[in-house]
Amino acid sequence: MIEVRDLRVSYGGRLVADVPELDVGEGECVAIVGESGSGKSTTLLSLLGLTPDAEISGHIRVCGVDVLTAPPRRLREIRGARVALVMQSPQAALSPATRLGVLMRRALKLHGVGNGSAGGSAEVMEEAVAAVMLDPGILTRYPHEISGGQAQRFAIALAIALGAEVILADEPTSALDVTVQAEVVGVLRRLREERGLALLLVSHDLALVSTIADRVLVMKDGAVVESGPAARVLAEPRHPYTRELLEAVLSVPGGTP
Amino acid sequence: MTMLRAERVTLGYGHRPVVHEVTLDITEGGVGLIGESGSGKTTLARAFLGLLTPMSGNIWYGDQTLKKADLRKFRKDVQPVFQAEALDPRIRVGTSVAEALPRSARPGTRQRVADLLQQVGLDPGLATRRPHQLSGGQRQRVVIARALAVDPRLLILDEPTSALDVTVQARVLDLLASLDTERLLITHNLAVVERLCRTSHVLFAGRIVESGPTRDLLANPAHPYTRALRDAVPRLGGPPPEARGRAEAVPAGTGCPFRLRCPLAVPECEREPALRDVAGRQVACHRAEDTLAGDHVT
Repeated sequence: MIEVRDLRVSYGGRLVADVPELDVGEGECVAIVGESGSGKSTTLLSLLGLTPDAEISGHIRVCGVDVLTAPPRRLREIRGARVALVMQSPQAALSPATRLGVLMRRALKLHGVGNGSAGGSAEVMEEAVAAVMLDPGILTRYPHEISGGQAQRFAIALAIALGAEVILADEPTSALDVTVQAEVVGVLRRLREERGLALLLVSHDLALVSTIADRVLVMKDGAVVESGPAARVLAEPRHPYTRELLEAVLSVPGGTP
Repeated sequence: MTMLRAERVTLGYGHRPVVHEVTLDITEGGVGLIGESGSGKTTLARAFLGLLTPMSGNIWYGDQTLKKADLRKFRKDVQPVFQAEALDPRIRVGTSVAEALPRSARPGTRQRVADLLQQVGLDPGLATRRPHQLSGGQRQRVVIARALAVDPRLLILDEPTSALDVTVQARVLDLLASLDTERLLITHNLAVVERLCRTSHVLFAGRIVESGPTRDLLANPAHPYTRALRDAVPRLGGPPPEARGRAEAVPAGTGCPFRLRCPLAVPECEREPALRDVAGRQVACHRAEDTLAGDHVT
């Protein structure tokens, strides 16, 4: 679903992300971990051609589209539809004066989902909302009437309704309470298993990543310092920086039963 | 006698109470106040800082209520540490720290600022920088240096490390642990509490639902909410964090506020549970014994 080779993203001559290789297959979850300024978000945004002021070289293929050479029309076909972007604060992206149902219907129409008929889209919408364990009543609400966790799940529901095959998520749970985070992570995991969604996750939370990712890329100052299967990287880190990150993870006594 | 104590304190904005009859002593070895968004933890911190007057109940500062206490002395004894965004972007950080020094220290200001910066692990040469020229961790250290300027006995820390990268957080926590002040730490992060606080209180919907030694509380929670919090924390290489569902259910207005989310709820929970002693701590739950036994099948 995602294939990246020799990606180099620079701003004004300064290299901010250098990713030699990044692949995400169907039903796979790959995580990019790193601290502020490591280039992890830039890498994610570049996959949808959302780094307009940057100098980019290399090769990016997402859902069969060559992102760096495709005409804008081709990019619009994958952005928001086949590839969804889930950000840290979805509420900021929801129009405050629009009910969530109206917002979702507009998005469906824009992307030509649900045959354009009201009945067809209502069905798609309810199914999508149920897939993220939200009550259909949420569609009549305004953004300020829902919580952060609900907003994040709504953002994911929007992706499902639009038929997303890939979800790019940038710190999707770091603004949420831990109990709510657990729910959102649960939703993402189920969508992966049941629908074969590919998930590329950007996070600073190594512990969280270790529980859901198949593979991990560790970035520091724009470079990938280590990558490999999550279990290996986290159990036998080879790069000193990965070790430093792991040592900084604070533990909480008592195990999950 | 503890230096600061809340006694049956109810706090709110307008007529709406958000913290209900909380009694809490700031004891030695660090006190943690754990809660999620909307639990009332920051409101309680504001009351402890004398920034919010209780609707009922009292904050005791030694043997006086805050209303009657010598506030000049109180402000020297009790200092807040908030997130580093509170620094004025226009002012050099050295000046920021100098402003916090008591008047009596004015003659030796430059030296005191250098000492304070050194105490929090910063190069005194950074005094001439402005906040945006420092990293997040450095800025947080400046905030701590400012608080230390009056030589306080107690620091009230509200999410002091939650905006920091993990490696930076670890070093700031080391610094906080090394200071010889008392501390009240407000956070949603259980691991941070575990690191800095001997005693902890778990707040849900403005009520203390469990209090006790931090280690016991986390190792074997007696309140289902404490357990839900703990089990939701992802662990390195562990299973995915457990969602016990309905994490966003609104707290119940009557009876136990947690009952709509509680996997152990029974009809009895429609009656509000009082705090009672269970296994060396205080718990407000009718089913504390079952929770301790790990009995989660309802």
